[in-house]
Amino acid sequence: MSNINPLQKENKQPASESEPELKGTLIAVFSIGAFIVVSWFIVFALFVAR
Amino acid sequence: MTTNTNLNKFDSKLVMAHMHVAFVSLFIGGLMGLLQTLVRAGTFTLPFGIGYYQILTVHGVILALVLTTFFIIGFQFSLMSKTVGMTDKQRDSAWFGFWIMLFGTVTTAVTILLGQANVLYTFYAPLKAFPTFYIGLALVVIGSWIGCFTNFRQLYVWKKKNKGEKSPLLAFMVVINMLLWFIATLGVAATVILQFIPWSLGMVDTINVLLSRTLFWYFGHPLVYFWLLPAYMAWYAIIPKIIGGKIFSDSLARLAFILFLMFSIPVGFHHQLTEPGIDPLWKFIQVVLTFMVIIPSLLTAFSMFATFEITGRKKGYTGLFGWLKGLPWKDVRFFAPMVGMIFFIPAGTGGIINASNQMNQVVHNTIWVTGHFHLTVGTTVILTFFGISYWLIPSLTGRKLTSKINTLGIIQTIVWTVGMTIMSGSMHIAGLLGAPRRSSYSTYGGTEQASEWISYQIAQAVGGSILFIGIILMVYIFIYMVWAAPKGVEEFPLAKVSENAEPTPMFLENWKLWIGITIALILFAYTIPVIDIIQHSPPGSPPFDIIIK
Repeated sequence: MSNINPLQKENKQPASESEPELKGTLIAVFSIGAFIVVSWFIVFALFVAR
Repeated sequence: MTTNTNLNKFDSKLVMAHMHVAFVSLFIGGLMGLLQTLVRAGTFTLPFGIGYYQILTVHGVILALVLTTFFIIGFQFSLMSKTVGMTDKQRDSAWFGFWIMLFGTVTTAVTILLGQANVLYTFYAPLKAFPTFYIGLALVVIGSWIGCFTNFRQLYVWKKKNKGEKSPLLAFMVVINMLLWFIATLGVAATVILQFIPWSLGMVDTINVLLSRTLFWYFGHPLVYFWLLPAYMAWYAIIPKIIGGKIFSDSLARLAFILFLMFSIPVGFHHQLTEPGIDPLWKFIQVVLTFMVIIPSLLTAFSMFATFEITGRKKGYTGLFGWLKGLPWKDVRFFAPMVGMIFFIPAGTGGIINASNQMNQVVHNTIWVTGHFHLTVGTTVILTFFGISYWLIPSLTGRKLTSKINTLGIIQTIVWTVGMTIMSGSMHIAGLLGAPRRSSYSTYGGTEQASEWISYQIAQAVGGSILFIGIILMVYIFIYMVWAAPKGVEEFPLAKVSENAEPTPMFLENWKLWIGITIALILFAYTIPVIDIIQHSPPGSPPFDIIIK
């Protein structure tokens, strides 16, 4: 057998009290969602126009 | 002489064998791509009687099937060796699989190079290739199955030794990807072995074209996820370490992979939306199932942004997006995959458009689709694979990633970004203007519409030429990292899970449940339409092998 897994000993502690701040993440993911919706409608408009 | 490596030397040799095939494929396939764009620009004629469709077939097969499969299987062996270990017996079976895949690849490649298989990488019937094309492909698939079962065995042995422990995240991800691959390749193996080989050998006169295309796309869409999931492995479990952070959530990562397993297979009909002979109801159902893949994709986007934001804020960066400054933009191990991730935003969006019934009619069989998969596999996946190579290759060869190569890698990524933006962007626009994919240069009898495409085809040649410079740079970097970089120990970066993450529930590793749901969804989505296709198909087609030369 070769090298042993370093991922094993993680994740045993209970969740920390303080939640991390993720405002930027929220806005970034919403922006991706908005980009998808806008792009979809642009091509849909092309379909309708044709 | 001893060399310092992260894996033992036997495992390193196995992984490097896969990498050598992958990078040779990159060079050959890339050169073919360059020639294609030059021909399509209308300024270049292929010498020595070489046909456009011959180089197109080489390009597709060697990049989409050979490069990806060898890189992925090699990379996954490195992850399994690192996380759960590899016995001598397992290594022997891995080598056996490698040699079968390589033999199959050479068989197929020689057939194409002899001009006996101008059928493109989708090998749609009734175009017929010489039988060795299909036999070679079948051997590649069979060889990859040996890789699958070796990986399954590796995790099984580890689980037996570590009863009650959850499996290492990366080993879990590898097994999900290989499950997906095994289930998906059953379709392509069925059509190649039961339909194409007997038909090409003349044992039967005709082929059921619709059934062959349906079985191909049963495989063809999950193939995309087989490419993507190793990139996701790096994003979820390696990039956090490179940026000095931790994995946002082990559970979320596992859940995303389980959802990809379930929802990437019963969806092939969205590639066949314009295909007559399939009941529209089943097309609709598979489109709905296709859209389910958006969920794990956005889970991944959230998880990655969260990892970046938490890491950046821990380094002291504030503001809504100030944490972006905390990311190691000058480290190519991060920069290349990060650019790949950014490209996945338009790439994924294009995929949603392709899979939408009405929009598919706008873009179907246009070069938009080619532009789309050059963003997904040709940018998101390949830039992540390049990003992996910058640490994996030196860590296997007992060498160091030097600052000079780091800088060259950043230049390579920028060159790729510029080239692909020009090439794929012009493909997308020309596609919306109706330019067809797959076809060689033509003025289409001087029609006005075709004249609108020419400037975009020239732009594709410009982008393709820049991309080929990127390939030369990458091949140089590979050669340098294998044979010339200074000796040393390069880190094999494996991230740990954040202490803020909830413990991973054990039900996420209920393999019987997830495989059971996957099979149930496949049976639901395919049983009735496939019976319908077999019972009500028009007469089968005889072979056509002289249509495109």
